[in-house]
Amino acid sequence: MASVQLHGLTKWYGKRRGIEDVTLDIADQEFITIFGPAGAGKTTTLNLIAGIVAPNGGGIRIGGRDVDGLEPADRNVAMVFESYALYPQMTVFENMAFPLRSPKHRTSASDLDERVRRYAKVMKIDHLLERSIQALSNGQRQRTALGRALVRQPDLFLLDEPLSHLDAKLRHSMRAELKEMRSQLGTTTVYVTHDYLEAMSLGDRIAVINQGRIQQVGTPKEVYFMPASVEVAQLFGDPEINVIDARVKSKPGGLRGLQVLGENVPVGVPADVVLNGAETVKVGVRPSDIDVVETNSAANFHGLVYSFEPLGTKSVLTIDAVDGTRIRALLDGHRTFDVDRRIQFRIDPYSLVFFDVERGRFLAKSKLKGEEARDG
Amino acid sequence: MNESVSFFGLVGRVSKTVLLLVYALFALFPLLWMIIMSLKPDSQMFTTTFIFSPTMENYGAVFLRSDYSHFFFNNLIVSVSAVLLSLVVGVPAAYALARFQFKLKEDIAFTILSFRFAPEILVILPLFLIYQKTGLYDTYFGLIWVYQLITLPLLIWILRGYFEDISPDIEAAAQLDGYSWWQVFLKVLLPLVKPGLVAAGLLCFIFAWNAFTFPLLLSDARAQTSTVVALRFLASDTVHYGQVAAAATISALPEVILALLIQKHLVRGLSFGAVKG
Amino acid sequence: MSTTVVLPPEGPTIEPARTELSKSAAKYAKRKALRPYLILTPTLLLTIGILIPFFAAIYLSFTDFTLRSSDYSFIGFDNYVSMLQNPDFWHSLIVTLQYAFLCTTVEMLLGIGVALLLNEENPISKFLRIVLIFPLMIAPVIGTLIWKLMTNPSVGILRTPMSWIGLGEFKWGASPDTAMFSLVLIDAWVYTPFVIILVLAGLRSLPRSPYEAAMIDGGSAWFVFKNLTLPMLAPVLLITLVFRLMLSLQEFSIIFALTEGGPGDTTMSLSLLAYNRGFPFYGVAEAIPIMLFLWAIVYLISFILIGFWRKAQQRASGVA
Repeated sequence: MASVQLHGLTKWYGKRRGIEDVTLDIADQEFITIFGPAGAGKTTTLNLIAGIVAPNGGGIRIGGRDVDGLEPADRNVAMVFESYALYPQMTVFENMAFPLRSPKHRTSASDLDERVRRYAKVMKIDHLLERSIQALSNGQRQRTALGRALVRQPDLFLLDEPLSHLDAKLRHSMRAELKEMRSQLGTTTVYVTHDYLEAMSLGDRIAVINQGRIQQVGTPKEVYFMPASVEVAQLFGDPEINVIDARVKSKPGGLRGLQVLGENVPVGVPADVVLNGAETVKVGVRPSDIDVVETNSAANFHGLVYSFEPLGTKSVLTIDAVDGTRIRALLDGHRTFDVDRRIQFRIDPYSLVFFDVERGRFLAKSKLKGEEARDG
Repeated sequence: MNESVSFFGLVGRVSKTVLLLVYALFALFPLLWMIIMSLKPDSQMFTTTFIFSPTMENYGAVFLRSDYSHFFFNNLIVSVSAVLLSLVVGVPAAYALARFQFKLKEDIAFTILSFRFAPEILVILPLFLIYQKTGLYDTYFGLIWVYQLITLPLLIWILRGYFEDISPDIEAAAQLDGYSWWQVFLKVLLPLVKPGLVAAGLLCFIFAWNAFTFPLLLSDARAQTSTVVALRFLASDTVHYGQVAAAATISALPEVILALLIQKHLVRGLSFGAVKG
Repeated sequence: MSTTVVLPPEGPTIEPARTELSKSAAKYAKRKALRPYLILTPTLLLTIGILIPFFAAIYLSFTDFTLRSSDYSFIGFDNYVSMLQNPDFWHSLIVTLQYAFLCTTVEMLLGIGVALLLNEENPISKFLRIVLIFPLMIAPVIGTLIWKLMTNPSVGILRTPMSWIGLGEFKWGASPDTAMFSLVLIDAWVYTPFVIILVLAGLRSLPRSPYEAAMIDGGSAWFVFKNLTLPMLAPVLLITLVFRLMLSLQEFSIIFALTEGGPGDTTMSLSLLAYNRGFPFYGVAEAIPIMLFLWAIVYLISFILIGFWRKAQQRASGVA
């Protein structure tokens, strides 16, 4: 059990930047996800924590002590690699026993046997102990890798995209198992993934990393509803959030309205949204917050259906707006639409996320309705 | 590629087979004939071709009653030792070149490779002098040292490929499991490259065994190898052709057997790892 | 602590102040950086040991050292000059190039042909694939020995067949007209399997999908060969060419065993020339420039060809 502090971590690979100035404070027993697209620097961060590579700048503390000078063997950290990194010529039992046989651990034969079997049972592979790992399925290999990490009872778990090579069904069930394991064991865990669903469902907090820098650290709700930037907003959600340009118009009585999508449809800016006088902003609209309506109204936008993808419970509708902007809406699966059909839709102003035009940074979001209103 | 079942297809296949067999004859007949000659007694040497009564007297003469066995064992000792030395030095080097990224990496690697292609005489001329002065001439150690020019580059370049095939994650995993770098090397990596080690070792042995120029010029009666001495058999005045053939067969046999053992890795070995078989 | 939203720093992204490494971190980084060099130390020592004769050779080439007397003096480039002025040298250069060119051409063509024939899945091919490597495994000297025996006027098995085709008086290595032919024959016998093995491996590793695509798109056999097979095979062909060329340029044992450079100096390649100068005649310092010249040629050719090889590799991975 240990807390982890990363302070100003920087790693360069020749001229290429791996990560830069990464600072993160992880509490003891916390399960934090590091989320980002491929090449963002997630694995680099894990490798630095584990001690597999040495940083160019910054420091790491685990359990309150500096580990910067320690070899991986001395850091009491266990890691599950994306490739599983199982020892090819050994059986499942031997793979799980290997850490316990090391000079660092020196476990007695009976203890070793008991521990390996215990954790093999937890991972539900106790019937495979004598099998060579070449003969295992992907899912079984992954469990072995997890088992090998568990067996050591380390201070810290590092998991590098453990579910990415599993098929969708397995991924679902493994996710549930991981959650259960997590509540049973309570070890501090750093979990790396590029799948936002995993990030949101598993982590207490999510650290969003992109191009080597931390973009945001927060709870899944915070990251989803109050993304720190357009980039962060686009990383969460499928289909991607619609980001459109908007002009802010002052109206009498201190009210403000938005002009978007080339139409003069009244979209009021919620009163608690602080824009500091910006006249142009970018707004993010989640596809689920766009409502396609049948009845006419002055509050409707107009558009043409570009494409329609039925996906079972939900459907994705791509709409060409009046000014040519293409936006996507997520609708209930029972509705169908033909291509080129004229439709009308509405946008809920209380769900809009406001970003500044120049750098795409988060400006504001209303808390008056919806989830945030309940949180207060 | 589709096989046509037409007449031309059949003719094509037959002629292909014929051509293949012609080449096979060219390649293998000399070896067969050498064995035949070695089994022919002197009395039937000039009178028979393929039908004769075989005998082992040539082998007996060569091995037991001449000093050929002495040179045979020289070759064995020198070749084996050269390979062992190359293994001890070369395996860690191959690992370092495979794994680490450091400034002089490709330069060092290419330098090592270039040893293989240096003209032998170029090395021998000064080495002859140096060896005479330092007393290494005609010694096992002198030959073992020179043989490194043959065995070391081969070993390093072959094994480099095998090390590169191992995922670095496995080493990292072993380190996290509590093993020092050296222990990881011994307990995890070496078992994984074992097939490559064996193949490279055997191939190096074959090349060391076949070395001619080095032992010819850098050794004499004491340390000379069977490969050189076999030639001398033919040059002597009273020529027992059967014995010459026997000497040649004895010299050639070990490598043929070893080659059969390392077939799978031959491609990688012969191309120094440039081509993965 | 856990609900704080941390936003990236304001302002344009300039080089932020890098956080200094702690002392222990710096030491660790250094330790890791030194590791490769430590591991390589034995090899480096050995390499230096091997390089010593090279440097000694270069040094000696500038002297008039001979094995007859132990004192010598520095004579600058005299050895080089007299080498370049010596017609024997130029003759040997031509012999060397001729030998290398003939051997490599024959072996490449023959080897590719046989490899294509062996690229089938019938029992004969499978058996031959294993057995045809034997000539390569034998010492070239021994190979030469066998051929000498086979062409021996008293017991050689070839004398009868040769007389059937009217070449009963074929002198093989003993005559200036036939010596080079005999050498190339033996060299080809020994080294063609090398080409076969590598080219075969290349053929068998060709990916199938481009060929399937070509079948669907409807390309002729020649088109397929020119645009698919050749580019994908080019790296292997080139590396085989490089190896054969470089080794045949310096071939010593085969020539030594068959003709010792003769008759006269018909087959006196550069290696043989240097050997003759250095050993029977003790002119070590004279012999070295010859070998350095040869090495320079080998280096140059290999450099150029390896450049082609790298390009061919890139092209090949683009096709597949």
